[in-house]
Amino acid sequence: MRDVMVIGAGLSGLVAAIRLRQAGLSVALVHKGRGGLQLGQGTVDVLGYRPQRVARPLDELDEFLADQHRASDIPHPYAHTGADAIREGVRYLAELVGEDYLVGDAEVNVALPTAVGALRPTAYYPPSMADGVISLDPAKPGALTAGSAVVVVGIREFKDFTPELIAGNLALNDLPGGGRLEARADWVSFPARDGEVDSTGLNIARALDDPARRGALVDQLKALVRPGETIALPAVLGHEDPAAFADLRAQVGSPMFEIPVPPPGVPGMRLNDRLTRIAKEARVEVFLGSNVLGADSAGGVLQAGVVGTTGHDTHLKARAFLLAAGGFESGTLELDSYQKVSETILGLPLAIPAGELIHDTWAGQQPLFSVGVATNDDMVVVDPATNKPVYSNLYAAGGVLAGAQRWDEKSGEGIAVASAVRAADAIISNLAGGQR
Amino acid sequence: MTDLSVDVVVIGGGATGAGVARDVAMRGLSVVLVDRADLGQGTTGRYHGLLHSGGRYVISDPESARECAEENAIITRIHTDAVEQTGGLFVVTPEDSEEYSEGFMAGAAKAHMPAEEITIAQALSREPRLHKGTKRAFAVLDGTVDGWAMVWGAVESAKEHGATVLTYHEVDKIHRVGDRVTAVECIDRKAGGRITIDCRFVINAGGPWAGRIAGFAGCHDVDVVPGRGIMIAMNHRLVNSVVNRCIYPADGDILVPVHTVSIIGTTDVKADDPDNLPIPRNEVQQMLDSGAAMIDGFREARAVHAWSGARPLVKDNRVKATDTRHMSRGMSVLDHLERDDLHGLLTITGGKLTTYRLMAKRIVDIMCEQLGEDRPCTTDQEPVPTSRKTHNYKVTHRLEERDHHFQEDQIICECELMSKQMFTELVEENPDATLDDLRRRLRLGMGPCQGGFCSTRAAGLLCTNGIQDSAGATLELREFMKHRWMGLWPILAGAQVRQTALDEWIMRGTLDIDHAPGDENPPERYPVGVPTDSEAVEVAR
Repeated sequence: MRDVMVIGAGLSGLVAAIRLRQAGLSVALVHKGRGGLQLGQGTVDVLGYRPQRVARPLDELDEFLADQHRASDIPHPYAHTGADAIREGVRYLAELVGEDYLVGDAEVNVALPTAVGALRPTAYYPPSMADGVISLDPAKPGALTAGSAVVVVGIREFKDFTPELIAGNLALNDLPGGGRLEARADWVSFPARDGEVDSTGLNIARALDDPARRGALVDQLKALVRPGETIALPAVLGHEDPAAFADLRAQVGSPMFEIPVPPPGVPGMRLNDRLTRIAKEARVEVFLGSNVLGADSAGGVLQAGVVGTTGHDTHLKARAFLLAAGGFESGTLELDSYQKVSETILGLPLAIPAGELIHDTWAGQQPLFSVGVATNDDMVVVDPATNKPVYSNLYAAGGVLAGAQRWDEKSGEGIAVASAVRAADAIISNLAGGQR
Repeated sequence: MTDLSVDVVVIGGGATGAGVARDVAMRGLSVVLVDRADLGQGTTGRYHGLLHSGGRYVISDPESARECAEENAIITRIHTDAVEQTGGLFVVTPEDSEEYSEGFMAGAAKAHMPAEEITIAQALSREPRLHKGTKRAFAVLDGTVDGWAMVWGAVESAKEHGATVLTYHEVDKIHRVGDRVTAVECIDRKAGGRITIDCRFVINAGGPWAGRIAGFAGCHDVDVVPGRGIMIAMNHRLVNSVVNRCIYPADGDILVPVHTVSIIGTTDVKADDPDNLPIPRNEVQQMLDSGAAMIDGFREARAVHAWSGARPLVKDNRVKATDTRHMSRGMSVLDHLERDDLHGLLTITGGKLTTYRLMAKRIVDIMCEQLGEDRPCTTDQEPVPTSRKTHNYKVTHRLEERDHHFQEDQIICECELMSKQMFTELVEENPDATLDDLRRRLRLGMGPCQGGFCSTRAAGLLCTNGIQDSAGATLELREFMKHRWMGLWPILAGAQVRQTALDEWIMRGTLDIDHAPGDENPPERYPVGVPTDSEAVEVAR
């Protein structure tokens, strides 16, 4: 018997598994595929909009939660975790991966340019984005300030990054402290493989892991950059080699930053690989490519997860279970053609907002995407009708939690790590106090 | 002040108007075609894509069945780039009575329409997803048409014969001197301003809007009742030939494979306003139920987009049922000379896409007779320019094209295999086209991701090519996504929710499109129809 079975290897599953293991518990991490981190941009969002842009996410949390409470009958995940768990979760993650992977401050957001030239708020970011930081804190200027000159450089062989669109829009944004950037567009050519005209970001990043290949990019960048300019490039500058970006930047000799692009998200992959390595080094027992088909239970307690392993189903016994398998984007939550929503792994009851789940407009939030499982403050899954635990030893974290509009709020990673830490700590304390 | 002077103005750039303009031009008369929006944006672009074999009408209307069978062969020949010869089946599903099917073969024979009853085993080997409880199956020569490609083909042909085509030109006045039409006046929706076109004759092919247009000439009480129907595109080709339910025509009785998707249609509900056509959820449920009767597992298949269209059905109390101008069921010609003592105006509505060429021939014959011109129709003789060197397309046509350009060109839309070069060439030819206009010709954003990946690339290309500045491209992107999403929300379920969540993560999460410069929820730049204050659902395919 394991102490804990964690379902899902996204940010919340990996962080929880590592934390549980570090507390000395045996952990089985069961996951169907690689987690959602690799689709993301490698930043840690805590709270970006409520709906106006948020400068100090933890200071503004209470007001945000009060507004949420008035707007919906479903509590926001942050109402359960509280600010301390966010603070602790983000700190824990940043220390785990180290400053080669994440830098920033959970208390103060910064704005970073996006691949359509918007300024997007986030709390922590990879060091490769540091030269693109625009401060939201009047006391501390960021790398880019009013009048800063940016040259946005596209790679001809990479189609998800258009410098004219990005530079044009970047120059149209009023900066938080007033003024605007100066931005212009330029292009380089860098086929990931010989003769390739249509390269994925990942292939370009892999090519740049090879120090011998970097020179071709460096020469072109040096030729186009003007004195005083900061170079913005798509976030494809190296995959496995965390020093690739720093080396490129040093060779070019100008400030330089990465802008995240649509998936695959190389900065997210770097973070994913790092956390996966840490989990394996900590001897988390990983069951990759394994569907959880259901669970055995008795007397309101989960006893074993049924895992679809080769040849036969494995009934994997554990003392506590953490569902961290993501939301609609992962297939954990499903809406059928009769408009009925369900949780597909354990068949849990869901918190569903009142009224129409989907409305017919483009702008604004869809209530459907706030559907998820309800929990108490220990992240134990409860039936939203009674607020009683569904199973006394089943916890949930991350995208499966009800009540958030993650992509609108820019809160995805904050919720993931805060709920992971909250759930892990509750499990640790419950198992320690129990019959171990 | 006049800007143009021609023999004939055709109002309405759907299949009917395009066919009329082509026919007029091929007979050697000068012609201008005007549409208030893009070609095929209204009724024609909002149907399911069936090229009728005639099978649908063998029992209810043998004359229509015979016409369809004849026109099917002609359209297949002259519009090769728009027609896929899929073949079709009429099936008696487990939910249907066999009574209707008893008369099917006899009706087909009477209409001189090729048909053959096949065994259930044969039907299942042709279409493995057919419901296992299917009771009977008849094979016919149904095909599928890309309505936009057909309209563009007809228009290219018309242009080759001298026609002028003005899209985004909305007619709001028809001038008359005494009992004679003399000119048409339009607003230029994109460039602004107005133009006046002098003419000898006007053909009103305005579909559901034909009554409003006739009113501009003072011909009132042309009462066109829009018959609204919804259609749903399912991801993948659940079938590779058209599958019809062998029953009296009813809601959701057909599944049509078109390009990469298959389309189920349709309902028929009287609508008040052809500019505001909702997609009610109860009708969506009806379509899904009907699909499940034809196809095993239909409800678990993935619906990617829904839209609503309006059939233009004329209710005209002044025209008696005995009127000889009622050419065939479904097609109505209003002769305003006879009806309103006005020379130089004919209104044509109704009809079927399959018989668009025949309808055009008939109305242009009448026009020529009224003008005293003896000019025979030759539209069945000559393939349209885009069809001269091609065979009928197959679903794999783009795969074949891509194979020839492998490693030379980027793919901008993976779902529909649309390349950068295809996009760039069309944009350079049509610099004022919206992304939605381009979509209708390129299928941009019409696959499973509904624009999640390709739309940003396309907007970027508009910038790189200097067609739009960044703010303009952002507006294009938002408008495009808005239109895609409006056809997605009413049917959102299953795997498409998962896709949509990913698209939202990309658009709103990673790109933060809502906070890029410009209006988060832009109003329609080229609004069509009478402005309304109501919050009615807008629909765009």
